[in-house]
Amino acid sequence: MEQINELKARYSISDSRDQRPDLGFITVDPGRLAALLAELQQVRGYTHLSFITAVDYPETGTFQLTYMVHNFESAHSLGVRTVISRDTALMESVHHLWKQAKTYQRELKEMYGIDFPGSPGVDDPFILEGWQGPPPMRRDFDTRAYSEKTYFPRPGRKTSDPRRHMQSRLYPDYTPFEEET
Amino acid sequence: MKLKDLIAPFSVWKRATEKPYTAMKPLSERPGADRYRGFHINDQEKCIGCGSCEAICQNGAIDMVEVAGVETTLTDSGLRPRIDYGRCCWCALCVDICTTDSLAMSNEYVWIDEDPEVFRFIAGAEGKPWDNSEKGYRRSGGYSLLDPERVPMILEDPKKGVTSFIEMVKGYSADAARQEARRCVDCGLCIASCPAHMDIPDYIRAIRDDDLEEAVKILYRTNPMPATCGRICTRNCESACAIGVKGDPVAIRWLKRYIIDAVDPSDITAALGKEFSDSGKTVAVIGAGPGGLSCAYYLARMGHHVTVFESSKKAGGMIRYGVPEYRMPYDRLDDEIAHITEQGVTITYGVTIGVDKSLDELAASFDAVFISTGLPDASSLRLTGEDLPGVLSGVEFLERVARGETITLGRTVAVIGGGNVAIDAARTARRFGAETTIYYRRREEDMPADWEEIHDAKLEGVEIITQSIPIQLEKAARGKTGLVWGRARMEDQGPGKRPRPVLIVGETYTAEVDTVISAIGQTADLSYIAESKTASVGIDGNKVLADYHGRTENVKIFAGGDVVNSIGDAIAAIADGYRAARSIDAYVLTGKGKT
Repeated sequence: MEQINELKARYSISDSRDQRPDLGFITVDPGRLAALLAELQQVRGYTHLSFITAVDYPETGTFQLTYMVHNFESAHSLGVRTVISRDTALMESVHHLWKQAKTYQRELKEMYGIDFPGSPGVDDPFILEGWQGPPPMRRDFDTRAYSEKTYFPRPGRKTSDPRRHMQSRLYPDYTPFEEET
Repeated sequence: MKLKDLIAPFSVWKRATEKPYTAMKPLSERPGADRYRGFHINDQEKCIGCGSCEAICQNGAIDMVEVAGVETTLTDSGLRPRIDYGRCCWCALCVDICTTDSLAMSNEYVWIDEDPEVFRFIAGAEGKPWDNSEKGYRRSGGYSLLDPERVPMILEDPKKGVTSFIEMVKGYSADAARQEARRCVDCGLCIASCPAHMDIPDYIRAIRDDDLEEAVKILYRTNPMPATCGRICTRNCESACAIGVKGDPVAIRWLKRYIIDAVDPSDITAALGKEFSDSGKTVAVIGAGPGGLSCAYYLARMGHHVTVFESSKKAGGMIRYGVPEYRMPYDRLDDEIAHITEQGVTITYGVTIGVDKSLDELAASFDAVFISTGLPDASSLRLTGEDLPGVLSGVEFLERVARGETITLGRTVAVIGGGNVAIDAARTARRFGAETTIYYRRREEDMPADWEEIHDAKLEGVEIITQSIPIQLEKAARGKTGLVWGRARMEDQGPGKRPRPVLIVGETYTAEVDTVISAIGQTADLSYIAESKTASVGIDGNKVLADYHGRTENVKIFAGGDVVNSIGDAIAAIADGYRAARSIDAYVLTGKGKT
């Protein structure tokens, strides 16, 4: 983490903490992220990009992105975090640093609707072939409503309410008193 | 070039016979991980068809459907989940919410078929290869979507309680009630078990929503005595509660009591309204117990003129004269009856049909008659010495206490029986300061009394001697009565049958006590019906013969409550009264019996 302290001022790192001896997290402005990752990769020994992921916070109107990088020599992993606006949902691509970044970015585009302009194939379907709805990993995605709209009821589907079914089987002649008003 | 470089290409051949580390393509088997979320499995025996899986499914992938060979019972809807894999997203919420842990997922996920319709099946009922899979997703420990523990009820300190007749169960606060209400999964399995089929999930939802006005309306739809049932109901609903399979059933009875205790009596009137049309028809109700009051209430709200004939000085029947005040405070009962009379019901007190007025006279002067005279008399022990002065019946004892009479029990009391009357008599005797022992023929788990009543009785110092059969009663020294009893062993009667107590020869004891109270059941004297000339009604022993709708063989006369049904509790009587009210309504308006 000494290295991190050196970087703190230059990249205006706002938050840093060690979760384990071999795992730390830092938070940086989105505008400084690519430059920081480049230095981590080329100067600080964090040569491997393990994954990129996102968390949706509709409450604050933001996405939190996490880039997990790894230093094989020190066996240390570092999660570099940044917070972007949910409305614009736009982030600089890092595929020029790690080729595999394009795959993660393509996945984030599909699942969260976060765009990474210039990332090769970012608009290609990742796993949701023919998907037409809103990005499904956004927390305001209404699974039920989407299902009802997209997967029309197949013929032959029929359900019974347990209480009505039990009434029809066990006490069909009983009706509760509803006064006429 | 070195020699080593020449040999090197050939040295790899030494590995030729070893198992390769790499997997061969194409893959022949693709086993899922041990906890993989594959096709569903469902233990058909464990599943109760509550439909919580359907309710939680975010994709609408589950239908509750009938399955051949699965019967609908009071604790099983008979429905089972059918899963549409065109929609399932394998999230396993259905497994996590399952109230019985019957639903799980196998780790099988490879299944190829050209017919899309096969990917919709009733899990565990269609003989799939993975049905007995040990692997796959099971609900993990450490968290639960269901809350297995009931919000505790506050009870009066038994040491203090036993010195007076103050109410022992204190009732839920608003916070406690809402917390308890949140445990309900809204499946509705409980409704069938309630004789009045009260809409339990709906009034529990109203508690969650803090809409007590709506809750009151739901209660009164089929039960005009919710404050009573909120205290002393036999609550069969709780035995059917889906949450009760793995945890404590939802405290349905206490939630009902919370609703009615939390609203002012005037709010009940406001919530229900009081405007109804006048049919001009008259109905006589015999007996102001729960059955008669229920029938009278609904008839009045249907617009009929109802007169209730009650032989006692106050209404309530067994609720007033059989249930002790520490369980059912008289002022709460008075409020409940006041609300019923407010609907225009007239109660004539001190009139005994068969003595002051005949059934024939009632049948002649009213458009219809409802008989709900209950079972007011104690059944006989049929033992020698039953007529000794130190012996009295539970119903007589409780009635005299309710009337405020002075009763001398002495220092020691023996109660014979295992039902709620026996427990009520024993706990009441404790309040008179007597050392009280209950003698019951079978085991404690066989006792018909409410388990909470048994528990509370013990807390109050009531001793229970199980597997004890009374043999005879005899005069003992110093004015005491000797209860001679023998130890019983339980004889197995085969599967599904209650074991029978059999006297062990030679093992008899005599308990010398000041008072013996018998509480082994109740009966009725129906001579007032048998003696009627024109208004003939079928009777069988101490029961009036009436159908589900309360109709007797006489088109004008209806009956319900303990004098008809074999259940013999308040809620069954209330339900009888309600159904009879509907039949009477149909009869007086059309002149025909309900069909």
